[in-house]
Amino acid sequence: MAQPFVKKDDDDEEAEYSPFLGIEKGAVLQEARVFNDPQLDPRRCSQVITKLLYLLNQGETFTKIEATEVFFAVTKLFQSRDIGLRRMVYLMIKELSPCADEVIIVTSSLMKDMNSKTDMYRANAIRVLCRITDGTLLTQIERYLKQAIVDKNPVVASAALVSGIHILQTNPEIVKRWSNEVQEAVQSRAALVQFHALALLHQIRQNDRLAVSKLVTSLTRGSVRSPLAQCLLIRYTSQVIHESASNSQTGERPFFDYLESCLRHKAEMVILEAARAITELNGVTSRELTPAITVLQLFLSSSKPVLRFAAIRTLNKVAMTHPMAVTNCNIDMESLISDQNRSIATLAITTLLKTGNESSVDRLMKQITNFMSDIADEFKIVVVEAIRSLCLKFPLKYRSLMNFLSNILREEGGFEYKKAIIDSIVILIRDIPEAKESGLLHLCEFIEDCEFTYLSTQILHFLGIEGPKTSDPSKYIRYIYNRVHLENATVRASAVSTMAKFGAKVESLKPRIFVLLRRCLLDSDDEVRDRATLYLNTLGGHGSEVETDENMNEFLFGSLEVPLVNLETSLKNYEPSDESFDINSVPKEIKSQPLAEKKAPGKKPATGLAAPPSGPATTVDAYERLLSSIAEFSSFGKLFKSSAPVELTEAGTEYTVNVVKHIFDRHVVFQYNCTNTIPEVLLENVAVIVDSSDAEEFSEVASKPLPSLPYDSPGQTFVAFEKPDGVTAIGKFSNILKFIVKEVDPSTGEAEEDGVEDEYQLEDLEVVAADYILKVGVSNFRNAWESMGADYERVDEYGLGPRENLTEAVNAVINLLGMQPCEGTEVVPSNSRSHSCLLSGVYIGNVKVLVRLSFGIDGQRDVAMKLAVRSEDESVSDAIHEIVASG
Amino acid sequence: MILAVLFANSEGNILVERFNGVPAEERLHWRSFLVKLGAENLRGAKNEELLVACHKSVYIVYTVLGDVSIYVVGKDEYDELALSEVIFVITSAVKDACGKPPTERLFLDKYGKICLCLDEIVWKGCLENTDKERIKRLIRLKPPVDF
Repeated sequence: MAQPFVKKDDDDEEAEYSPFLGIEKGAVLQEARVFNDPQLDPRRCSQVITKLLYLLNQGETFTKIEATEVFFAVTKLFQSRDIGLRRMVYLMIKELSPCADEVIIVTSSLMKDMNSKTDMYRANAIRVLCRITDGTLLTQIERYLKQAIVDKNPVVASAALVSGIHILQTNPEIVKRWSNEVQEAVQSRAALVQFHALALLHQIRQNDRLAVSKLVTSLTRGSVRSPLAQCLLIRYTSQVIHESASNSQTGERPFFDYLESCLRHKAEMVILEAARAITELNGVTSRELTPAITVLQLFLSSSKPVLRFAAIRTLNKVAMTHPMAVTNCNIDMESLISDQNRSIATLAITTLLKTGNESSVDRLMKQITNFMSDIADEFKIVVVEAIRSLCLKFPLKYRSLMNFLSNILREEGGFEYKKAIIDSIVILIRDIPEAKESGLLHLCEFIEDCEFTYLSTQILHFLGIEGPKTSDPSKYIRYIYNRVHLENATVRASAVSTMAKFGAKVESLKPRIFVLLRRCLLDSDDEVRDRATLYLNTLGGHGSEVETDENMNEFLFGSLEVPLVNLETSLKNYEPSDESFDINSVPKEIKSQPLAEKKAPGKKPATGLAAPPSGPATTVDAYERLLSSIAEFSSFGKLFKSSAPVELTEAGTEYTVNVVKHIFDRHVVFQYNCTNTIPEVLLENVAVIVDSSDAEEFSEVASKPLPSLPYDSPGQTFVAFEKPDGVTAIGKFSNILKFIVKEVDPSTGEAEEDGVEDEYQLEDLEVVAADYILKVGVSNFRNAWESMGADYERVDEYGLGPRENLTEAVNAVINLLGMQPCEGTEVVPSNSRSHSCLLSGVYIGNVKVLVRLSFGIDGQRDVAMKLAVRSEDESVSDAIHEIVASG
Repeated sequence: MILAVLFANSEGNILVERFNGVPAEERLHWRSFLVKLGAENLRGAKNEELLVACHKSVYIVYTVLGDVSIYVVGKDEYDELALSEVIFVITSAVKDACGKPPTERLFLDKYGKICLCLDEIVWKGCLENTDKERIKRLIRLKPPVDF
């Protein structure tokens, strides 16, 4: 709650005496009784209202009864003819926001004021009524509001327009009827009326692209009076540009001239808005960017902090996509590092980190060091992330950047901040080999005094993997073993695992590791003891049978090959039986968001009764369960991959069908998901007749029709094919939906006895090479690529012919191969002329494949591509090249 | 949307706070956040010198006027530029109502008038009036002169 006003000093009592000293809610409510006096004293009443306002504005609340009492008393004040008091009354009623059943008391007074000859009564009555009224009363006053919008007094018009903006949230259908009046108000000569009208008109029409486009076209040619309205128009314009850009890729960008002309506007607000709009254009070219960057640069040295902030904030965004365009501003931004306003300084630093060149790194780091101590954690995180990307950009500078990170790691900070630093150090160690040893030592020092369990365990895990590969692994043991003495059970357990990894990798350390592990056998925690026992056995510390090196390494270092989520689901689905749980039965494909089975658009949601179940969940395990429950398919073995649903009908047709392709080692099953969208018919014996004459290697082995398909209740029918084992057979299939139609009596919902046979042509379906590749990502492509080795590497070059741009070419190849893009390389920076893309996947037969694609585009838009494949199997590497060559 | 307009005295006590579209449970947090922001940055600031900050997608423009610090918080269309317009109108209206950059006492003396000015300037999160001369007339229910 608000702190009471404290009188500071007796000496300056005269000057400091507050009119609200010792103010108390109860007393003020008592005072409010003067509102009921037959002889109203306007001055006194105004004073009491001011006190009530003071209480409310300090966050004080009135109980329901108190508020009602005050409200009723205030309504009495409508009797007074004092203008000042009337103005206060309007405000007070709005502040009290009476509930619906009380509003009725004032509506007649307010309606009277709304029709008053005095303009100001009208304006204020509109605002109050719109604030406190509900939908039913609105329809009664709608006529007056429409008139008010086009009132010649701008205050009345603005009051009605702004009320409209608020009412639109609660009663949009009413406000939408005012379009004509609002349209007229947009042409008003009063600057603010135009501003408010423009905002309201846009909100009314925001879902009608054509209308917004027309509005923008007419206003950009006409005159917009206030800078505020001009800013709105710029925003709406960039929205129109954004939406139309996808239609016309070529040629001049519409409205760009308008945006550029706004850069020369006299109001700073408009200039900045226009510059911002230009920098945010899709695929903005450097020619388009230049004028905008130039004005932003000028604002960087403005005397007004708001302008500096706005300019640097915009440049910061530009630097993410077009760092080179911003380099001209580097000197101006460097001077902003010492800006008094920390927000501006942080933005300047993070922008500089993106745009700076290698030679300026050291100087920049020096400046940042001084600055870090006096900014908040959230700013620090931004800086750390920027430094991480800078270090990856200039690996030679790792020494000063790593030092900086280790220094700030020692300082005070919250979890998120420390985590950002640790993540950065880990990434640098992984990607810059020279930084490894010093980085690991920094991490070791950090865990000596780390209050965050999560971070300690992460670091210990990382040490276990990287530490044994260093020149002197023994120096890390001390830090790790200290954890066993000093930390909680979670960290101790991690430390035990880490020590075991050192023991497994470094033969010379093994005996000493055994000593340490044996000491852990007496730990107070079960998990710690269990791990110590397990590792001692595995490594042979108990004199027991030593596991082979390969097994041991696999056990200690092998990554869990299945995604954890999948493992969890499989374990939950596992029912205890004689057969033990098999980890190989866990699906390996990374699940994206479960795709909701698409329903035909425009279809009404099921109403009445219980809604029918929607289509089956398309997640892998749901498919697996579904297929294994069907006797005909149970002998097909393990499901390798299920495709995303492919639509075989157009949207809005009477029957909608999509198909999911399930790939097994020797079989392919098509699952047709059918929906009947006609309420008056019932379909029975639904089956798909597949013609596989264009898919020679496939032969149909089974078909499972659907007995009945009622309205809006999706069902599945299946067709299974056999194909040669180990061959990635491809082919085209044509499909016809066959069924018996029965009419349904709409009143009873019962189907007629007799039906008619009918059929329905569906689109063709293809099985393509990508169906045999699972999208499985790797976290660090470079490591995966190197550890795969060049034994089965196949490299070749291909011409992809003319393409619109590189993005199109990259997407085409990704779709052709059906592999998982890694490290965000599927995104091509706009206007770039070359690009590298990394893909990873698992080929049928569980063979890991990695692909490196290098693209280049020439002046004629011809795209050339170099394809390098590494895999665990020679034939698979060749197969990938075949797919590309024949695609 | 203009999420909040807040006035505080030099000790950080609240004089006026008006929130729009901010849930009741978050208001206390905002209040202390803004007062802290002012305490850290407004010391030594000149009258009407604007300071600016942003937190995620919310912008804050604030300043000091006499003994009173003023904070305006906005999001979406009310970014730092629009807010600087809003705070400019507020400071000029307050100066006008008080006749000069106010002491705390003067501010409280003119409290009713200032509330009326705010009512004319910000209407449930929208900027309504921007001209101090007009506001001066509107709070006395006088029509604007310029139409």
